[in-house]
Amino acid sequence: MAKLHISSTPHIHQKGASTSKVMLDVVIAMLPAAVAGIIIFGIQALWVILTCVASAVLAEFLFNLCIHKKQTVGDFSAVVTGLLLALNLRADIPLWQCVIGSVFAIVVVKCFFGGIGKNIVNPAIAARVFMLLTFASTVAGGANPIKPEIEASATPLVTLNQGAEAAASIKVLDLFIGNHSGAIGETCAIALLIGFAYLVARKVIKWYVPTSFAATVFVCYFLFGGFNATFALQHVLAGGLLLGAIFMATDYVTTPITGKGRVVFCIGAGLLTFAIRQFGGYPEGVSIAILTMNLLTPFISDWTKKKTLGGVK
Amino acid sequence: MIFKKDISSLHVPHNKHTAGCVPVKIETPKEVILPMNMHSGHDAEPIVSVGDHVYVGQLIAREEGRFSSPVHATVSGTVTEIAPMETADGKGTLAIKIESDGLMQADPNMKAPEFTDCDSFLQAVRDGGIVGLGGAAFPTWAKFNEAKNPEYKVDTVLINAAECEPYITSDHQMMLLHPDLIADGIEYLRKYMNEYLGDAKFMICIEKNKPDAIEVLKKTFEGKDYVVIHELNAIYPQGAKQVMLYNATGRVAVAGRRFPSFGALIINVSSIAKMAEYLNTGMPLVERIVTVDGPAVDKPMNLIAPIGTRISELVKVTGLKCEPGKVVVGGPMNGTAICSIDDPIVKVSNAVLIFDEKSAVLPEASACINCGRCIERCPVGISVAEVDRVMKIKDEDKRAKALIDTGVRQCVDCACCSYVCPANRPLLQKNWDAKAFLKKYAAAQKERQEVTNNG
Repeated sequence: MAKLHISSTPHIHQKGASTSKVMLDVVIAMLPAAVAGIIIFGIQALWVILTCVASAVLAEFLFNLCIHKKQTVGDFSAVVTGLLLALNLRADIPLWQCVIGSVFAIVVVKCFFGGIGKNIVNPAIAARVFMLLTFASTVAGGANPIKPEIEASATPLVTLNQGAEAAASIKVLDLFIGNHSGAIGETCAIALLIGFAYLVARKVIKWYVPTSFAATVFVCYFLFGGFNATFALQHVLAGGLLLGAIFMATDYVTTPITGKGRVVFCIGAGLLTFAIRQFGGYPEGVSIAILTMNLLTPFISDWTKKKTLGGVK
Repeated sequence: MIFKKDISSLHVPHNKHTAGCVPVKIETPKEVILPMNMHSGHDAEPIVSVGDHVYVGQLIAREEGRFSSPVHATVSGTVTEIAPMETADGKGTLAIKIESDGLMQADPNMKAPEFTDCDSFLQAVRDGGIVGLGGAAFPTWAKFNEAKNPEYKVDTVLINAAECEPYITSDHQMMLLHPDLIADGIEYLRKYMNEYLGDAKFMICIEKNKPDAIEVLKKTFEGKDYVVIHELNAIYPQGAKQVMLYNATGRVAVAGRRFPSFGALIINVSSIAKMAEYLNTGMPLVERIVTVDGPAVDKPMNLIAPIGTRISELVKVTGLKCEPGKVVVGGPMNGTAICSIDDPIVKVSNAVLIFDEKSAVLPEASACINCGRCIERCPVGISVAEVDRVMKIKDEDKRAKALIDTGVRQCVDCACCSYVCPANRPLLQKNWDAKAFLKKYAAAQKERQEVTNNG
């Protein structure tokens, strides 16, 4: 008779609980936004997405190969990083810049710190901020939609920052369907919300995490903008806020481990976003806000540790 | 803190295929193997020698030391071998092999034990070889003995009928077949431990997924206001004693204290029935209901088998679909994987699960992605992922402090953390490592203290 397997408990494992399935769910959740981006900004957007994903995966593969580390590309986390970075870029960015950004995200931000689970900041965000500083002219702002009837214009955030009067020219409906200039994945709020619903339904993220981010920004602008709900809503829908709240502020690795900690993280990120958008030099604050909160994550984790039942303090 | 009513939180597929299977008595096995370590304390000491003839229920090994328990012959026949055997925990033990004569003759001198007061009652329970059949195998008399401590003021007896582990239905069948024995057991306790448990409430804690058993118990205990049938949600791990204590009484079991100090005793439902059976008839713990199930089992069944029956004998009755890849005694969350299908079932073997080759091997561990599911699913809220991390701290003082901060000492060994981990990390083992380290550290600390005091 063949030898029996011996192992410690438990002898069963939750069906479908694996890192690759979690990452795959995140990829699936980002697809509506990616498709919307391709429809709005044309085939160029597809090339950007493919370049980012391919170079991210290849970078991780080659890095592991070079340092003789066990291959980890099978967990799809590089796909998530590549896709997320692409959604944060303009459709008209030169492709070579995409490659540099992806390689920076994977190699410098993730692999140098020890690979999946060990990175301190979100690779896609760090890469975007890096590109914002390096290739400012092609990363900041946004490409214009391909639809000929829409005139070339500034991103809604720039308009919004000119005050509530200028903001009146932006239709909320346009923000929902994404008919305005911006990065590939950030303009179509509906597509992002579909992804959000999918992640919540698949129990990958908790609904209250992105919501607390968006709610913080909403409340700040509601108070600041003279109790103008439309103005506050425009601020929530414009720019990369939803993209950041749904896909970046919910990244497991770089946010606190408990639900309470994650809400604190998101409120902090929301306040920072408001501060940067309102008082800072950049019209767009989400990336830098999340990046800053990433760095504060260990401290938030410490403050929001779960209390053990019956634990002696 | 928001008051959480039910701290168990994991939906594990129940897989109770045998819930409707009335236990079938197996044919008398040709031989039985009785290990001397079927209880939590020291090994029992054989008092028979090779060649002796024994009857069913005859004492063949006496208890030796604290929390030990006697062993009785489970078939009639001849002792053929007393030899060391390997056990899953690696310690090994002596085992008495009895070749059956096929007659299953009971000991002619057997009579129901006599007892008049608490001490003689406890002695009787002790002689019957009754141990906790839920898995810990702690001698039942010792548990009751602890309740005598006047400081503890035990006011609740929790009868653990949760059977929260997947597959197992042996306690369920016991409740359906012998509710009278459970009632007898409670009466014995009320009568002979009157001084300590006279006013105690008996709570039979049972998961809602056994409606027929709940019905039977309700009928049995109609009109007895000291017995409460406490229905629990069918969510793992209701049967862990700390979880049951909280869910039934709202009391919190603090690590490092004896269980009765929380004012409650906890005893498995089959233990109490087996105890009553012995006190009624004098037949000690010699056979039990065992669920045989698992992905590789052809016809899942409940069997009644003499303790010491080889698992391969049980499997002959149920049949196998394919070559076994793993044999687990107990439930899939907390059971023990054993090395050979020829090993015997013991007093606590409530189930035997046979896994096929495919389901025997769990996926390989990868890096923690900080998802927090282990913390979310931990019934007592230990920062499990943190334990994994701080175990790497080199400095022992710092490591001990950080570990205590994670709350790991409260761990109830339920394995929910390992079960849900998407990276398949062996988190439960990390908790065990941490607990072992803390124990060693505390001992060393104490020693250091003594040296300082004496010096």
